[in-house]
Amino acid sequence: MSSASRTRILLAAQANKPAETLLPTVPDFGGEATAERFSAVLAGIGGTVVWLDGLGQLGSTLQQLFPEARNTASPLFAGTVPVDAGTPTEVLADIDLAVLTGEIGVAENGAIWLPEANMLHRALPTITQHLALVLDHRRIVATMHQAYAQLPGTGGYGTFVAGPSKTADIEQSLVIGAHGARSLVVLLY
Amino acid sequence: MSHALRADQFLLDADRTTWHDETLWFVREKRDRAVYAVPEFQALRELASQIKDHTLSRLDRYLQEFEAAAQANGVHVHWAADAAEHNAIILAIIRQQGATRIVKSKSMLTEECHLNPYLLQHGIEVVDTDLGERIIQFREEAPSHIVLPAIHLKKEDVGDTFHLHLGTEKGESDPQRLTEAARQHLRAKFLAGQVAISGVNFAVAETGGVVVCTNEGNADLGVNLAQVHIACMGIEKLIPRLTDLGVFTRLLARSATGQPVTTYTSHFTQPVAGKEMHVVIVDNGRTQQLGRPDFRASLKCIRCGACMNTCPVYRRSGGHSYDFTVPGPIGAILSPNIDMKKHASLPFASTLCGSCTDVCPVKIDIHTQLYKWRQVLGEANEIPASKKWSMKFMGRLLASARVYGLSGQFARKALRFLPHGLTHAASFNAWAVARELPEPPQQSFREWYQQQPKPVPQPPQPQVPA
Repeated sequence: MSSASRTRILLAAQANKPAETLLPTVPDFGGEATAERFSAVLAGIGGTVVWLDGLGQLGSTLQQLFPEARNTASPLFAGTVPVDAGTPTEVLADIDLAVLTGEIGVAENGAIWLPEANMLHRALPTITQHLALVLDHRRIVATMHQAYAQLPGTGGYGTFVAGPSKTADIEQSLVIGAHGARSLVVLLY
Repeated sequence: MSHALRADQFLLDADRTTWHDETLWFVREKRDRAVYAVPEFQALRELASQIKDHTLSRLDRYLQEFEAAAQANGVHVHWAADAAEHNAIILAIIRQQGATRIVKSKSMLTEECHLNPYLLQHGIEVVDTDLGERIIQFREEAPSHIVLPAIHLKKEDVGDTFHLHLGTEKGESDPQRLTEAARQHLRAKFLAGQVAISGVNFAVAETGGVVVCTNEGNADLGVNLAQVHIACMGIEKLIPRLTDLGVFTRLLARSATGQPVTTYTSHFTQPVAGKEMHVVIVDNGRTQQLGRPDFRASLKCIRCGACMNTCPVYRRSGGHSYDFTVPGPIGAILSPNIDMKKHASLPFASTLCGSCTDVCPVKIDIHTQLYKWRQVLGEANEIPASKKWSMKFMGRLLASARVYGLSGQFARKALRFLPHGLTHAASFNAWAVARELPEPPQQSFREWYQQQPKPVPQPPQPQVPA
């Protein structure tokens, strides 16, 4: 009985908890909020930064970076595959490249906040073979504290993406491209 | 079987033991480099410790706050007092869906509850989607580490396993090619998955959302393609505020593997319209641990595994020697709370060097708790008779200067003529199994000191007024 267990757990937690202690205030530790730092850290975790001279260059840059991408999905240009929340799995599974807009970049760890609203479909950032995130360099902050402080909320779903999908589960050997995107390019402008 | 006996099994292969030791130490060194690069790391540890202390001190309130926020988000919240109830809740959700294809990302809680065998008994097969977990699932083994589940295996072992189960070429041992084979195999499972089960790294009381951290992206891929997401969490996963994640996300991956952050730090708060999200909140002994003042700090653990990577005993005995879901130093203080008799040897699987405490990102006093569990186990008569009586004997001996002096005299003489086979008999002197006793000295320090010329007493110096 779930509700009986609920009562039991809450009563036990109440009876057994220690005397109340204070919740600390977390300071903003400052730090380096630069595109240079962001790019260096991202390179260290397997991602790549490419500078755009404005969003007008997006199409030609993608053409250069991903000449072989046939199935593309993006809210920023007319991709070959239209994707929305209702797109069937088998269609998503064939996408080579997704180009989405990142909201916040974190210089200390190379992570980029990607909210559901920017994803077209929740599974798109991980099911696509390759992921490109467009990011305004003025939206780079120093640390995760600053990133969370800027988030209006996390929406229904959202993720910090830091580099391509990877694993070291076989003998601690780093392999890029586990289950999610095999590569991550961040297009800074 | 005790930890020491299981460790003996692991130690039979000396080369592999050395490899295991060095590999985990390498991870510890990576952790150090990542930690030293953050000037405020020690301040972050202190903040994390205080946030967790505070959360435990209001746990009942935060649990209710989380539940209300999650329900307002359209999430189904379930409560499970123990492993059996946790498993039953999940089976019921799966059956309600009529689902047969289940994908699961890493969750130590579902390991603790033995969910997979339970579901299998009821005709439902679960596919573990973390690469390391899938490897050991094929091999029908338990994880040997909470972050690196297959760290006890060599790439040749993985090659053999994949040859058997995935049809990779015999003798293939290239990690890149093996991982690619697993990617293709698991992609089919993700695409077909109906229900996705995940663990929870952090549950935010304020938002009612759960945060799952992975490098592979398997949690996101599984959850976002399935019709139903079931997130399983222990009651200790709570943190009060969204901004507290700033502290914990900066500590977790750096402490675990030396990465600046995990590849995916994913916030699951609401289901997509037409889909379902469930959270199962599990006690399974945790409120009992909360009531043990000496041991409740173990509930602050964020499962980074740093204490294992640094532990000289874990590195040289392997995770399976602990025979508990969570091995290593933290497992040795969590396990006696679950079953004191079964896990009685684990708090002794430590040198009490304190390295675990030094690296713990939430400042759990792990080695102090190991010491305290030993006292509890002694009181409860859960230690072997040989250890109990030899400790009692040594306690008496060391408490009396006269008996100590006489024993020393006796030992210095006796050790000269007693046969090696007796003084080093493995049956009662485990210490000497791999060590030589020192050469007995001619005399004790006390005897030597008494032979030295007495220093001439000096008259007291006159006090100089200030």
